[in-house]
Amino acid sequence: MYKHPPGLRGFLVAIGLLGAAILAAFSIGLFAYWALERLATSASNPEGVPNYTLLITSALALIPILILLARRYAYLTDWYYLLPAMLFLLAFTVYPIVLTVYLAFTNYSGLHNGKPDRASETRVVRLAGRTLVLDGPAETSLRCRNPSCSEELVELVGEGRRVYDRIERAEENRLVLARAPDFEPRYVYRVNTFSYVGLKNFVFIFANASRALIPVFLWNVVFAFASVLSTALLGLILGIVLNNRRLPLRNTYRTLLVISWALPGVITIQMWVALLNKQFGAINRLLGLLGVYPIPWLLDPLWAKVSVLLVNLWLGFPYMMTATLGALSTIPDELYEAARVDGASSWQSFRRITLPLLRAPFIPILLSSFAYNFNNFNIIYLLTGGGPSSEGRLSTAQATDILISWAYKTAFRAEGQSAYGLGAAISLVIFAITVGISLVNFKFTGALKEERK
Amino acid sequence: MRRVVFGALVAAIYVVVRQVVFGLGSSNAWLVLAYESGDAGLALTLLAGVLFLGLIAARFGSSWRDVLAVVAGLEAGTYLLAIGQALGQAVRPRPAFGSVFIPGGWRYVLVGYLAIALLLLVYSAVYIGVKNRLTRRKQSVWTFFGYALIHLFLVSLVMLVFYPVIQVVAASFDPTNNLFSFRRVNSPFLLVRAKVLPDFSRISLENYQRLVEGVVIYGYQWALLAAAALALLLALWSGYKLRRLGPVEPWATLQGRALSVFALLAFLLVVLVSPSQFGGRSTESKFLLWVRNTLLLSSATGFLAVALTATAGYAFARFRFPGRYPLLLTFIFVQMFPGFLALIAIYYLLSALDLLNTFTGLLLAYSGGIISFGSWVYKGYIESLGHSLEEAAYIDGASRWQAFLRIILPLSAPIFVFIFLLQFVGTYSEFILANLVLTGVEKWTVGIGLYSFTTGQFSTKWGVFAAASVLGSLPILMVFYGFQQYFVSGYTAGAVKE
Amino acid sequence: MKRYLVLFLMLAGFAFAAGKVTVWTHFGGPELEWLKAQAASFERATGTKVEIVEVPFGDIKQKFILGAPQGEAADLVVTVPHDWVGEMAASGALEPVGKFATKDYLSDLMPVALEAFSYQGKLFGLPMNAESVALIYNKKLVKSPPKTWDEFLALAQKYTTGDTFGFLYDLGNPYFNYGWFKAYGAYVFGKRADGGLNPSDLGLGGEAGYKAGQFIKDLRYKYGLIPEGVDYGVADGAFKDGVLAMILNGPWALGDYKKAGLDIGIAPLPAPPGGKAWGPFVGVQGIVLNAYSKNKVAAINFAKLLVRPDAQISFNRAGGRIPVSQGALSQLKDDPVVKGFSTTIAMGDPMPNIPEMGKVWGPWGNALSLIIQKPDSDVKKIIDQMVEEIQKGIQGE
Repeated sequence: MYKHPPGLRGFLVAIGLLGAAILAAFSIGLFAYWALERLATSASNPEGVPNYTLLITSALALIPILILLARRYAYLTDWYYLLPAMLFLLAFTVYPIVLTVYLAFTNYSGLHNGKPDRASETRVVRLAGRTLVLDGPAETSLRCRNPSCSEELVELVGEGRRVYDRIERAEENRLVLARAPDFEPRYVYRVNTFSYVGLKNFVFIFANASRALIPVFLWNVVFAFASVLSTALLGLILGIVLNNRRLPLRNTYRTLLVISWALPGVITIQMWVALLNKQFGAINRLLGLLGVYPIPWLLDPLWAKVSVLLVNLWLGFPYMMTATLGALSTIPDELYEAARVDGASSWQSFRRITLPLLRAPFIPILLSSFAYNFNNFNIIYLLTGGGPSSEGRLSTAQATDILISWAYKTAFRAEGQSAYGLGAAISLVIFAITVGISLVNFKFTGALKEERK
Repeated sequence: MRRVVFGALVAAIYVVVRQVVFGLGSSNAWLVLAYESGDAGLALTLLAGVLFLGLIAARFGSSWRDVLAVVAGLEAGTYLLAIGQALGQAVRPRPAFGSVFIPGGWRYVLVGYLAIALLLLVYSAVYIGVKNRLTRRKQSVWTFFGYALIHLFLVSLVMLVFYPVIQVVAASFDPTNNLFSFRRVNSPFLLVRAKVLPDFSRISLENYQRLVEGVVIYGYQWALLAAAALALLLALWSGYKLRRLGPVEPWATLQGRALSVFALLAFLLVVLVSPSQFGGRSTESKFLLWVRNTLLLSSATGFLAVALTATAGYAFARFRFPGRYPLLLTFIFVQMFPGFLALIAIYYLLSALDLLNTFTGLLLAYSGGIISFGSWVYKGYIESLGHSLEEAAYIDGASRWQAFLRIILPLSAPIFVFIFLLQFVGTYSEFILANLVLTGVEKWTVGIGLYSFTTGQFSTKWGVFAAASVLGSLPILMVFYGFQQYFVSGYTAGAVKE
Repeated sequence: MKRYLVLFLMLAGFAFAAGKVTVWTHFGGPELEWLKAQAASFERATGTKVEIVEVPFGDIKQKFILGAPQGEAADLVVTVPHDWVGEMAASGALEPVGKFATKDYLSDLMPVALEAFSYQGKLFGLPMNAESVALIYNKKLVKSPPKTWDEFLALAQKYTTGDTFGFLYDLGNPYFNYGWFKAYGAYVFGKRADGGLNPSDLGLGGEAGYKAGQFIKDLRYKYGLIPEGVDYGVADGAFKDGVLAMILNGPWALGDYKKAGLDIGIAPLPAPPGGKAWGPFVGVQGIVLNAYSKNKVAAINFAKLLVRPDAQISFNRAGGRIPVSQGALSQLKDDPVVKGFSTTIAMGDPMPNIPEMGKVWGPWGNALSLIIQKPDSDVKKIIDQMVEEIQKGIQGE
């Protein structure tokens, strides 16, 4: 067989070779794509071939390159097994992260999106070298922000083309551009640029911490913790009850009880919204029969939290029940036999055998469940939408909002006004917190220690 | 005993200190309660303080952990009490509009439950008595009664768990598309009159008809459907036989073959259905098309997930190369980024590749989600397999790739099924990413459709939503119940190693 | 292999090459059919294909802004509400359409519609229909609409029993509540000298805002009309079930009410106690053109077809919306629905269309739901905090 070059050097060499291979394949793919594009583009088909053809050509080019490389560096074949997963991870996970990090330090938003402000449309009368003569005073009709429009970015449109250009200065109804356009523009628009703002987004998050970050984070932790605890408790009880082989119909019960796990949350959570209406929901009508006055399930900030937890209990206990049953099935029967021979009561064997043996498989389940619930967007977004309103909070961070729903509302919902930059900054904060929790998690279980061989 | 007294002591000191530090009437409900209960409460608090002074003189000792535990318990208690009090205050004593309110109704329910328990006790006594007499054995009445009570509990729980499901089903038969009915219901049953249980007396299939309006299914598709149903029935039947007889040969093969035939036919059906068959004019008449789109997408993502994680998991499990550990860490931690918040990045990426508004694009976007978890689970699974089989293959001259292909892959079916199912279920009702990538009713998935019914500008179609929910969850229920054991074993396998 | 690939790709390319106009729409039911019929007649007349894509209302804005520069958005959207116009124009997606509009067309439009679709002095869409909320009453329960607040309250309270309701609407929604704010003298943005809106003059707070907030709170806790748990769906459902006498709602709901067999009347709400005349937000929906469209001329021609007076009349027949063409309006003047809503539209103000309005909706809705959440809510404090958050948002802090 073959040997890897050892240590950091080996790692770097392998990564370097793979990178070079990918780069080479990409160049060949690019060339092939360009050739195809030339072949396919015609008057009737101005679009040419779709851009993903580049992916196909690059992949086709990569295969022979890899085979050739393997002849010279046999140990690289180990890395080939990882290549597909790594490429996908790079494209669809790492690249979005990099872009998010970049956006987090800009003021990118619906209004600062690097696109021309169409309200600044100004007609061009004529072009003279680098100078555009407009049909109105440049500064006001382009609504420039800088004095005499200097350094503003503009879009020039005409003859079916559109290019960006930079203004050197504006004089009356004349614009002097940084470089002369090679066509006759008909309209000019000022571009709403987005720019690097440093730590401003993070400063906003921490300056408004008492109105968003702190209460949202606290509730997020309480929510995840209480969800795990409640589902685990009910799941454990049911699992232990249903594990009893002498209980008739136990498989029927198990099958019936997993229904809330099996049904898609987008259906059941929205149904719960209807059930929990204060005046007209079925739950309060049922409670009315029991002599309980209507409870403001989704209307009161505190009750809404209770509702979220109850619905999450309904959604989550079957998983814990199933996990308990799975864990219990790994405990060998002989242990119980031995205990019975030694004269232990069933309660004693439960205390001394079942519970201690459940601990080991259960801790990772609890921890991963915590991590899952920590970013459990669906239940919050679909059940309460983060509401009800809570006094003194940002309108994107209400009583039951957790970090991820706060970020989502900031960037993608009307309340947040497409503040993508700020949303990206919040995502990074979430990322940091999640990684922190997981580090604790791994430390707790020692899961990664044995990998470090 | 010493510890108990010490606990009381700490509690007392804590109470007094809190009292002094925060003062009466602070937001701390526990103290407020003591205060509000009047002189008695105050006296009690003082008494506790005095007790403490007396006991401290006796110099009890215990670890600081006990002190912390007591204080934390008290503190948690105060907050729980405060929350309880606030929850109580938020409830205003006025019955809901148009509801039936029975003061003290819970007593009837309690009495009802006690009566049932009593009946069960009588039944157990009689049943066990007769049985003991007949079989000449001594079985305990109480054990049997205990089981009966467990059944009572479980049946009540099942009813509670199914309550929302029943409501969805009921709503799907209500053509008014209202979330709530305001009409008076005349029914001999109190629960129906109180609108706690749905009124099934006026069933209408209108909502379901709207979902299939204008749908044309060709003859050969009906034939495929019938054949698929037959194959499924066969698989179920052999599964039933297997469960009764244990792993017996003809049934096991039959089940495997029937399932593959079913999968093949279902796949053909999904692929052969085309948007032109859905000629209905309303949005909801495209529903079956959405189901088809979703099945196509979810199973494709499932397969892609398996394909991507299989080799990676194998490499992590079996190969020792420099950089394995940091790479593993990268895989794990990179995945902790809340991916769907990077919607914009994914949008621009797919746009650059001309893959927006295509299933391929969405498929690629979904695929990033499971790679690390899947690799991790699969790696754990392979490690549990042991090396002996592969080593035997190496001795026979097999290469690593051959060993992987011929030895490991065939053994990995259960874990692949698990990874496939996880991805299938996870993407089946996803709607946020799908909604961003796909535009136009004919491209929608079930998740987008269901979400759109309840979030129209000024119109929510609850009846249609419910009908679509019932139909739309059938495939996922089938998958879930059909492969339940894989979920259990997969999660246990993943969890034990995790 | 590659030759086949090229061939295949070329075949796929041909489908896109022919002259085609794509249209995004949120219409459904009869209105969608109307649009498809118009598209078919346009195709017959010009030979240009029209592709109609249904996109949910709530997704249109974001998808259009993101997709337009990437070439992923439709050429036309039928329709967008005018309050999106500022944001969509500033983010580069909308083409100013003033250069395509004729004098005849512009002079036929209701002035409020023209004002609604003008942003920074430029026209950004062809207005199609106007809407506002109005008091819709069930004639079975209400013989003639109440003229004064006292009449209104007496009537509403008479019907507010356990099983029936007098007056319901989505109490936490600023759009429905603007009328009360206006009645007490509040406004969203003041006007600049040149007629444009001034985002730094916010008029929702102060004494007028307090009064409106208090009144909205009173509707729930003092007059006992609108209980907790009532949202749009509940009010609408109760009205459809015939147990609600009066609802505050817009023309979009009338199709369902007709289907439910209700005999309805439409009237403005009376002035609230101590306030001036009630007047709702007026929303104008119109057709907008993608600035990056490759087929602008054909697209705008199709849009012009849709806003012709006769098309607006047939559109009104299909979905009951109120046209903005004065020619169409004068032909429909005997229609009680058109008449009822025209009255309230004339009483109202167009929603602000500047992008800063986006910073208002969230805090405003939030403040309203806080006000009506508890009987002891502090209206002044909540309104003050709302004003502060909006101002900070607009200043971009």
